[in-house]
Amino acid sequence: MRELINNANYDVVVVGAGPGGSMASYYASKNGAKTLLIEKSQEIGEPVRCAEAIPRLEDFGIIPDPQFVRNHIKGGYLIAPNGKKIEVKGGKTDGHVVERKIFDKYLAIRSARAGTKMAVKSRVVGLEHNGDGYDVIISHLGEEYTVKAKIVIAADGVESSVAEMAGLKSKKIPTQVCSCAEYEMTNVKLLDNEMMEFYFGDICPKGYAWIFPKGDTANVGLGVIDKNKKAIDYLNEFIEHPILEGRLKDATPIEFKCGGAPVGGPIEKTVDDNIMVVGDAAGQISPLSGGGIYLSMSCGSMAGEVAAKSIKNNNYSKDALIEYENRWKEKYYDILMAELKYKNVLQKLTENELNALADAMDEKLEEVDVKKIAFKAVKKAPSLLKYFKEII
Amino acid sequence: MKVNHEKCGYCGACVGVCNKLAIELVENIIVIDTEKCNDCKSCMMVCPLNALEE
Ligand SMILES: Cc1cc2nc3c(=O)[nH]c(=O)nc-3n(C[C@H](O)[C@H](O)[C@H](O)COP(=O)(O)OP(=O)(O)OC[C@H]3O[C@@H](n4cnc5c(N)ncnc54)[C@H](O)[C@@H]3O)c2cc1C
Ligand code: SF4
Ligand code: SF4
Repeated sequence: MRELINNANYDVVVVGAGPGGSMASYYASKNGAKTLLIEKSQEIGEPVRCAEAIPRLEDFGIIPDPQFVRNHIKGGYLIAPNGKKIEVKGGKTDGHVVERKIFDKYLAIRSARAGTKMAVKSRVVGLEHNGDGYDVIISHLGEEYTVKAKIVIAADGVESSVAEMAGLKSKKIPTQVCSCAEYEMTNVKLLDNEMMEFYFGDICPKGYAWIFPKGDTANVGLGVIDKNKKAIDYLNEFIEHPILEGRLKDATPIEFKCGGAPVGGPIEKTVDDNIMVVGDAAGQISPLSGGGIYLSMSCGSMAGEVAAKSIKNNNYSKDALIEYENRWKEKYYDILMAELKYKNVLQKLTENELNALADAMDEKLEEVDVKKIAFKAVKKAPSLLKYFKEII
Repeated sequence: MKVNHEKCGYCGACVGVCNKLAIELVENIIVIDTEKCNDCKSCMMVCPLNALEE
């Protein structure tokens, strides 16, 4: 592997072999760019910091392979503090719960098969602009190496350091990061083996708690934003909470996961000369759900395509790479900003107001259409108008 | 800022909010450069496990 990183030249260097980086490098390679994907961990996909739910993969031409799919999902239950359940099913709510360790590795192998070279246990520690592109400085087994890249794609996830090394602002504000803890457990009694469960209220301020079916196990976790009490303490309370009606009584953990979900919306600038930012690093993650696998894959794909095109056209300036920013913004910016607004409203509701909202909602929905829900809720519970004014 | 390695779950959430680039996650070990750290405590707030200490 050493010759791959020892003074080698690449068209495109992608940093981070998460879903964003593997998709970006796949499309860069597939479209003819000489591409290196660099991952600092010795095992791709580790450590897992995820509840592992993804919507349909078919959009990416990827078959939901049994090697990584653990559970098919039909939809979910939204559960209010008073226990009222709203069933959301049908429409576009189906998806999968995957084994991220295997899924991430699958995507990396798919990229390698398209021609990407990979360096693992290799950490990017610096970027230096050399006029023509970047010198990417890599630490591997205690030695430093440098490779040259015409284009760098920063896909380093929540850590968001690589874009900062290039002078872009990608670090997040702490009040906009959901602090998460999760046990993967077995012997969980689920409400339904193909439905996800979402719990809201004081059990998990400004976030939510979840139980996602995962074949023989379930991911039981939560994400909070709270200065005073830690996610792990909320989690230990949640698994014993009466709202679960003893369904975790016999459950036992088989894995522990934790992490931060940057739910504050996208960063301002995702391109500059010779660099693009994708995935969590770019804040391409749903502010409402914290789901980022689909978005990082989709935006990563766009970045990979634009990188390859820029290489063909011999132009890696910001003016050429801006096509990536235009494309992802056209598809997702309005959705992300609307979700950010909804999240800010939801975070303000007290338990009583959440209950009133749930009571005003239909018990069965095909999708979560926030505007429609807000409109109905205000009709039934006019006291909610002060929050929902902006949405309606 | 200091990290208690016994408590740390090596998730990198703290790294993502440190705009002084003072924290790095090296494989599964958090390394804090105390020279760069300005004690803003951003990292402490997002840590799910209370692994960061002043
Ligand atoms: C607890 C939790 C639960 C979640 N649940 C879900 C869910 O159910 N569904 C969903 O869609 N999303 C979920 N998310 C969000 C999802 O995990 C992320 O949005 C997604 O992983 C982002 O992909 P990415 O490719 O941008 O980054 P990542 O998957 O984080 O990949 C980044 C990679 O870059 C590597 N890296 C970092 N720095 C360097 C460096 N300097 N040099 C080399 N390599 C580097 C890392 O080791 C890592 O492998 C959850 C997040 C958390 C924290
Ligand atoms: S206290 Fe602030 S500067 Fe210091 S490590 Fe934490 S986030 Fe970085
Ligand atoms: S946020 Fe806490 S648990 Fe996660 S890596 Fe940082 S110190 Fe460790």
